[in-house]
Amino acid sequence: MSADTHETRDLDQLGPVDYLVVEFPSGASSFTGEMVEELLALVDSGTIRVIDVLILTKDAAGAVEAAELSDVAALGPLQAIETQLAELLAEDDVAHLAAAMEPGSSAGVLIWENLWAAPFASAARRSGGQLIANGRIPIQAIIASIQADDPAGS
Amino acid sequence: MPLRPARRGRVGVIGAPVAKTAVVAAAVTPGRSPVARTAVVAAAVTPGRRRRI
Repeated sequence: MSADTHETRDLDQLGPVDYLVVEFPSGASSFTGEMVEELLALVDSGTIRVIDVLILTKDAAGAVEAAELSDVAALGPLQAIETQLAELLAEDDVAHLAAAMEPGSSAGVLIWENLWAAPFASAARRSGGQLIANGRIPIQAIIASIQADDPAGS
Repeated sequence: MPLRPARRGRVGVIGAPVAKTAVVAAAVTPGRSPVARTAVVAAAVTPGRRRRI
């Protein structure tokens, strides 16, 4: 989907927007390109649209530095995404997002629109529905629920 | 590396400091194997399973 197409889309047709912060503890990162491949597959299939990306580093003293995706020396296939970014995150978002990071770590911040959910959300609005709650169920909560049902674990 | 000027002076969208999400591995306490727990979770989200109320 082109940038022009996105700009002309009615706001009512916008899908829900999510974010995540993926931390890489010091010395634990192992970049093989696999993450990029999977991200691009989601974009190419029209499942998501990447809105913003930042790369954060937090030093041992807790100081945070943010880098744009365009600051990465060899973007490779990510170049296609970089040209479509909307720079949604503001400067004070960086501090808020970095609050979860451990000192000495680096992290990738990803903001995306769930294109797959947009038609359903739009249909719900046209039907008079209003979103009053949403969220994510942690796997830990599912485990706890199952164990509470069946402590023996059969 | 500084942020782009467009990011400065704008109202943010995150709103408040973000708390660290629990790592899934932390929920796997000693006892049953992670593989067994995975199977349990898979069973819990299998189509056709009905809640007991």
